[in-house]
Amino acid sequence: MAEGFDIDHLAKLARLSLTAAEKALYSSQLNQILGHFQALAEADLPSTIDDARIVNEAALRSDEPGPVLGAEAVTRIAPASRDGQISVPRVVDDES
Amino acid sequence: MSTSPSDWEVVIGLEVHVQLHTRAKVFASSPWGFGKEPNEQVDPVVLGLPGTLPVVNREAVEKSILFGLVVGASVPEHCSWDRKNYFYPDNPKNYQLTQKDFPVVVGGQVEIELPGASRNVMGEHKFIRIHHAHLEEDVGKLSHAGSGSLVDYNRAGVPLLEIVTEPDLRSSAEAEAFLRSLVAMLTQAGVADCDMEKGQLRCDCNVSVRRRGVEKLGTRTETKNLNSISSVRDTVIYETARQIRELEAGRSITQETRGWNAELARGYVLRDKEDAHDYRYFPDPDIPTLKISRETVARLTKLVPENLYDRQRRYVEKLALPYTAASVLVNDRALAEWFELAVAAHPTNPSGIANLVANDLLRDLAASAGAAGSFDEAAPAQVSLSSCLIKPAQLAGLVKLTDDGVISKQQAKEVFAEMFKSGQDAAAIVDAKGLRQNSDTGELEKIVQEVIADPAVAKSIAEYRAGNEKAINALKGPIMKRTQGKANPVLIDQLLRKFLG
Repeated sequence: MAEGFDIDHLAKLARLSLTAAEKALYSSQLNQILGHFQALAEADLPSTIDDARIVNEAALRSDEPGPVLGAEAVTRIAPASRDGQISVPRVVDDES
Repeated sequence: MSTSPSDWEVVIGLEVHVQLHTRAKVFASSPWGFGKEPNEQVDPVVLGLPGTLPVVNREAVEKSILFGLVVGASVPEHCSWDRKNYFYPDNPKNYQLTQKDFPVVVGGQVEIELPGASRNVMGEHKFIRIHHAHLEEDVGKLSHAGSGSLVDYNRAGVPLLEIVTEPDLRSSAEAEAFLRSLVAMLTQAGVADCDMEKGQLRCDCNVSVRRRGVEKLGTRTETKNLNSISSVRDTVIYETARQIRELEAGRSITQETRGWNAELARGYVLRDKEDAHDYRYFPDPDIPTLKISRETVARLTKLVPENLYDRQRRYVEKLALPYTAASVLVNDRALAEWFELAVAAHPTNPSGIANLVANDLLRDLAASAGAAGSFDEAAPAQVSLSSCLIKPAQLAGLVKLTDDGVISKQQAKEVFAEMFKSGQDAAAIVDAKGLRQNSDTGELEKIVQEVIADPAVAKSIAEYRAGNEKAINALKGPIMKRTQGKANPVLIDQLLRKFLG
């Protein structure tokens, strides 16, 4: 079947740098996965939501505040930090 | 070829992001609140650390359903959550949990009131349809410093209801009116606080223009992250003018994401994150689909407050309030309910009570408490009645004393000021200050007769008898003076007419 995706585009969206061999491998695997979904889409299934994936409101969390990690612990697991904040390369969405 | 702006019609749709009034975050138990040190309100679920699972906060779901009920939406049987995938450091998990296919609120409408010709004239009413509202998590906050950016995840995971309108708005004034009405509904139902200074309400504004009479919508732009009603209004005005200018110059409109610089009052194109709109949504495998019981819907329906414009119509039609007073009262649910308690205690003069509440009480409350910030800088400050010493029945008592002619309206202002300070009953203050008007007919008759006999007023009497109605007023002053202002003016008038008639 024709590929319903552009492997270069997907790799870019996922921030992955793929070799030609990897691209070929993942394209083929993705095609298999999409093939399964194609088969599912063609099957005559009820349009209702799968009951097994439905919970009622008892599965909800009560609005009770719990413990926090603290800024020290949060910044410790980050590659870089400053003044209790996580430091990242500059991202710009200001007026340019 | 020249055309006037009136040849064009602007079409506006809004996406309003509101932080819901909860104590814990939407999928995690971490508390949240404004003004905390960076990253102090973060837990492993917020960061999406390995082994953690999101669990939906019941209060956030119920507040969302309540909003739906407030705007007359249908509450679906089920709702579910999806992952919106993107890489940006405001988002610790590389995806945002949101609702794409099965949102918690579908449909509904918001009644709006446009400004009238003047302050005391009611403007046109319209209904703006809600497309849907979905419950998602807010993202972290970025600040830019030098060569890097800093990330604070305190805001990440805060329950955010995104309310999406149909493109029903046709002017900046309508957009403004819609936001005012929406904020009133959200706050009056206790769904959200909508505090602009705390960033609790942010808005994305979609604008397009088309020639009048043309059905097809023009290409729209989206201006993101507006955090005040005035920014939304200014954006609509700016963007409308810009698009008309472009089109009239023979250029086309690019569908783009824009930002707004409130200081310079101008919009700008946001440097598009590459492929930013390719979010590769898919159902979140960690959160099961939620079935919303009809029992919950029934319970929440009881919490829906009276719609503010239904209340306004009731005040004007049933209580015969002037529009100005009614419109002030209905903006604040607590104030309106306070007013109604006072009316219940003295049902014969709702207008008299409304005047004192909407003018004197509101003014003194606002003066005694610092006004809290709101999304709407132009709106009257929300006041707190909790610190108000006057109880509704006491205010009713004051109005009754005035209605019964025990004190004059002028004296009522003085008594009110005293009540506001001390919380004493009006009657007690009237007695303590010796303000009780003299309604003793016998004594007053004597004074009236003496004043009439005074040659100094003979001319006025002659004029009155000759048909000059106003001349009678010249006699009232001396009578008031002799009674030290305590005489009932209505009674004076009656007695004068009796003796002169």
